[in-house]
Parts: sequence; structure tokens; C-alpha cells
Amino acid sequence: MELTTPGVATLSRDPDEPARGAGDAETADVALAASGDGRAFERLYRAHVARVHSLARRMIGFDVADDVTQDVFVRAWTKLGTFRGEAAFGTWLHRLAINVILARRTSLGTERGRYHDGADVLDAVPSRPVVNDLSLDFQEAIGRLPDGAREVFVLHDLEGYKHEEIASMLGIVPGTSKSQLHHARMTLRKHLDR
Amino acid sequence: MTRDQWTDRLSEYLDGDLGVAERAALEAHVASCPACEAILAELRRVVARAQAIHDLPPTTDLWPAIAQQIGVSSGGEPHGVVSLAARRARRRLSFTVPQLAAAAAVLLLLGSGGAYLTLQRGTSPVPPPRPRSLEPGREGGRRPPLVGWEKTRAKYDVAVAELESALEQGRKSGRLDSATVRVLDQSLVTIDSAIVQARRALAADPGSVYLNQHLADTMRRKLELLRRASAFAPART
Repeated sequence: MELTTPGVATLSRDPDEPARGAGDAETADVALAASGDGRAFERLYRAHVARVHSLARRMIGFDVADDVTQDVFVRAWTKLGTFRGEAAFGTWLHRLAINVILARRTSLGTERGRYHDGADVLDAVPSRPVVNDLSLDFQEAIGRLPDGAREVFVLHDLEGYKHEEIASMLGIVPGTSKSQLHHARMTLRKHLDR
Repeated sequence: MTRDQWTDRLSEYLDGDLGVAERAALEAHVASCPACEAILAELRRVVARAQAIHDLPPTTDLWPAIAQQIGVSSGGEPHGVVSLAARRARRRLSFTVPQLAAAAAVLLLLGSGGAYLTLQRGTSPVPPPRPRSLEPGREGGRRPPLVGWEKTRAKYDVAVAELESALEQGRKSGRLDSATVRVLDQSLVTIDSAIVQARRALAADPGSVYLNQHLADTMRRKLELLRRASAFAPART
């Protein structure tokens, strides 16, 4: 399914399609929110905040994830009138979140080391205190990847975007996206058992 | 192709991005190379681990702060947001002279629009807004859509688009510091939300003098915000 809204690029996938009953309720909430119903928008927030916040945390870091998540939902509120229902609301919101995150990371000046080619980029990073949950430790390793590798890894392996889509979002060529993904994976394999 | 070159293609192999011939060649290599076989197995585990990661909500409820920004009731106190007033002190922007001139011209037009509406209502100076049902004039304050006013709005849209484009360029170039961009973004979002609500209300009641006045005031606030922000740095020519 194609999604096209002003300021939100085309997305040729729909991983956030809710179950039919839930989808009807969500469609109603989107319509209500678009007409100014704050309670309906709060329900949409509750349903999607974990996904948006997790994306922000992984893409740009824990310290600004709350702030970015707030921005995403405030922008969603103002842009609801442009949502045409051609895709699931979650898909639309997810892509809006990516746009906000990418704009924010640029404004934060996080271009440093964006396309680092070294596969051992985490070796120089001091180890953090031991975390009991192995998956959390793995996520911490994701967070320490250079910006470019982390963004590509998150968008491809966690969010399911194709290299062509990622290249379009990040302003790179698909070959760079593939290269960054491989470097990220090669680095993270060393952290599988930590 | 050397072993290292094959190693660099393992992710593409995993993702099915290799052509038939390359795929067959790589599989033949991996079958005879324990090192590549081990790396491939680890890469598979990385992908599987990534796909098993669950989403987690924020540790604090962000809704009260969001509700405050969009102007709806939250039932709770906002938290976790730095006050805009504190951030505004660090604001620094610059726009081109033509952009500022266009914005100033539209501000004058908006002011004229407000004055026009005031004259239409037969009151002077501008009184505080009041509910539509209490407005004087025919049919409880309803009037036909104002053609001249629509033209002003169109000019406003152009001026704002130019200023926002300049802001976006400043953001992309890194010319604007992050605090500046965040403050301006949040302020604009708040004002945009008010504009959206006013326009929705006007769509249902396009002849309302009160709503037109309110929209003009809100649009003027947005332009003034952008214009004031430019005062923190010399304008570019």
C-alpha cells in the first residue's frame, strides 16, 4: 500500500496494519482526533508511543528520545488533516517519526562518524556496567554504533525497510546502505553473548 | 574473489541481494571456508536477535506534556519539557532580507485584515474576542467569506513557506544550533496547532467574524515569531 502525504515520503509497506476490529476503532479515533478530539488522540498516543519511543531511542539515543517522541506526537496532531487513510495510521505515524528523528539528528550535529567504515568501532568504547538482560546489552551495543551504521541497522533489521527506502531517507546510495549494514552486523556479532 | 571479499558479501547473501551466479559462488566458498561459515552463522544470529527486540514505552508518561503543547486537557501535570521561555533566550536565526520583507508585508496585511474586520463589526478600537453567539451584526455575526482576506491568507502562506524553507536550510546546513531549532520548532508547532484548530472551526462557520479575527491573530503570531527570531543574528543578503 502506498502512503503519500505532504512532507512524508512514500512508503511501500504497511507493517502496522492493526487487527480488523482494532483498526476500525483506530480509524474512528483518527477521524475524531482530526476534528480536534483530544481524548481520541490520547488513545492513539497510548497505542503507538512504545513503537515511536523505541524507534527514537534506537535511532538518536536515550537522552533525547522523550523529547523527540513528544515532537512526533505534537507534529502528528497538527498534520492529522493530511492523513488520507491510504495506509494504517501506525505506518503514517512511523514514517513521520523517522522524518522528525532525521531532522533532529541533523540539528543536533550528529553527523560525526556517520559512515564509519571500521568494523571494530565498539572496541574502543569503554564497557558499561553489566546488564542482566542480554537483549538490553545488545541494544546498548546498537546504541554505540556510529550514527550512519546504527541508523541503517535499525531501519533495515529492526524496522524492515529496504535499502532503496533507507537510501532515500538518509540521502545516500543503496550501496552505502548495504555497506553500513554489513559493518553494523559485523560489529554487533561480537556482542551477541555479552 | 578472495575470502575477505566474500566476507564482505555475507550480509547481502543473507538478505537475498546477490545474483544467482554470485550466490552460488559464495555458497561454494562458504562450504570450504570454516571462518566464513562461522561469520555467516553469527550474522544470522545478529539478525535474529534484532528481530526479537521488543518495543518498550518511555519510563515516564509523556502525554501530559504533549497535551499541554497541543492545547488539550491531559488530567495530569506536564513534565519532562524544558520551558520554551528559557530556551527562547538562546534563540539565534537569520533570514534573507527579501524573506523578512515579505513577512513584514504580510504582517501589515494581516493587521489591515484585522482592522477591516473590526470596521465591519462597527467597533473601535479592537475589543477582546467574544463568543460568536454574542457578536453584533446580522445573523449572529455571520458574514460571507471575505475575498480580500483570502488573498491575504495566500500571501501569508507564501511568506511563511519562504521563512520555513530558510529555517529548513539552516537546519540542514547546521548553521542553526540545536537549541534554536528545537525552540523554534516547538513554538511553531504550538502556533500551527492553533491555526489548524481555527481553520477547522472556520470550515464549519466561514462567516464568523470572531473566528476570522482569531485566525488572523494566530497567523500574525506565527509571522512575528519568525521575524523576532531573525533579530538574534544579522540578516543575510
